[in-house]
Amino acid sequence: MTELPKSGEAQLVGEADWIAASELCRLCRLELTAVIELVELGLVSPRGPAPEQWLLPAAELPRLAIAGRLIHDLGINASGAALAVELLEMQRDLERRLRRLERLTMD
Amino acid sequence: MEYRDYYKVLGVARTATAEDIKKSYRRLARKYHPDVSKEKDAEQKFKELQEAYEVLKDPEKRAAYDQLGSDWKSGQQFRPPPDWASGFEFSGGGGGRARGAGGAHAFEDEGFSDFFSSLFGGGSHFGATGRRRQPQSGRDHHARIDIDLEEAFGGGTRTLDLKRPELTGEGTLQLKSHTVRVTIPAGVSDGQLIRLAGQGETPPGGGRAGDLYLEVHVRAHRLFQLEGRDVTLTLPVAPWEAALGATVTVPTLGGAVDMQVPAGAQSGQKLRLRGRGLPGSPPGDEYVQLKVVLPPASSPGAQALYEEMRAKLGSFDPRAELQAAPRGGGAP
Repeated sequence: MTELPKSGEAQLVGEADWIAASELCRLCRLELTAVIELVELGLVSPRGPAPEQWLLPAAELPRLAIAGRLIHDLGINASGAALAVELLEMQRDLERRLRRLERLTMD
Repeated sequence: MEYRDYYKVLGVARTATAEDIKKSYRRLARKYHPDVSKEKDAEQKFKELQEAYEVLKDPEKRAAYDQLGSDWKSGQQFRPPPDWASGFEFSGGGGGRARGAGGAHAFEDEGFSDFFSSLFGGGSHFGATGRRRQPQSGRDHHARIDIDLEEAFGGGTRTLDLKRPELTGEGTLQLKSHTVRVTIPAGVSDGQLIRLAGQGETPPGGGRAGDLYLEVHVRAHRLFQLEGRDVTLTLPVAPWEAALGATVTVPTLGGAVDMQVPAGAQSGQKLRLRGRGLPGSPPGDEYVQLKVVLPPASSPGAQALYEEMRAKLGSFDPRAELQAAPRGGGAP
């Protein structure tokens, strides 16, 4: 019988409310300069005096991870990534609403 | 292993300029990027694009790849020639994994193909020069995991088969299958990251292994729509249940519960079942959107009832709100 591998010690990232900027950079593969720009653009609001000491809301990790991938993979800048993330969220929200309405009207 | 036609993947001629290749990559990456694309198998296509671009954007790798000749066809069985890449000088910085600005890939654990590894992996001239010999700690790896809403609610255990680049005893880089058993915590939501400590890259010279991060994607559900930790369900109700109020049985992720529909409820109205969404602090809610469904007037008895409603409720005008609108419609 094949022995199953040991279960990995799974830990949810972002269970705490806030996450250090350096940890966020590592997780989302973002440079600190890009995080600073995303903050200036209003995509995320930090807590703390200076970027190196910033704490950022862990709930924003998924959208920052998308921004990081768009910057790396598509070669766009932080402004473009922030705009794309907001438009993608708007699109998904509209799609959700559309599906709900379709369920209401479908026979 | 199978030959890969990188020019075909990027949709360019073998004579394409570096600028043409970059433009084509940008155009196709925009089309197939998993975060923005609605195309089927976008993720797979995007990985193929990244692999092709990794080779063709680099003059050294491209020249070496071109040396294989143009007679190969995609999918054809392939082995690198014994004198592969001899006669080239390399500036280093290659390796089996993409690096740098263009190479911090999402889902990098799934890796490039064996074809790529055999040509540009750690055992080749390309890979030998740019690699750290004794890193103090291994790199983190990232992968994606698709789960059902039920698993997000109740947690569970999954066994994942991932591919990761590993150095062999001879110093060559190979893609190796890697099986990880993951305990999915209850209450995980779409887009969250799960960290598996020490399951990333193992540094060849010893030291701390990196971590494996799994990005959670919750599959669409037949009944429930997920938004954050909240779920929405469309619940069909009979006209008399909506008009007179009723206790109805409602499915939730944790099992069916009874819910009171208030008298005078309308189609589209939302009711909230507090704490019936995904678990967490605080837990999500379930929103129940009512959908009033009319019974068909398909029998004489049903027709008589509708006739009676018309007679007794004749003053009811469902289009009363439209009366206030100006007649004639369109803009002047």
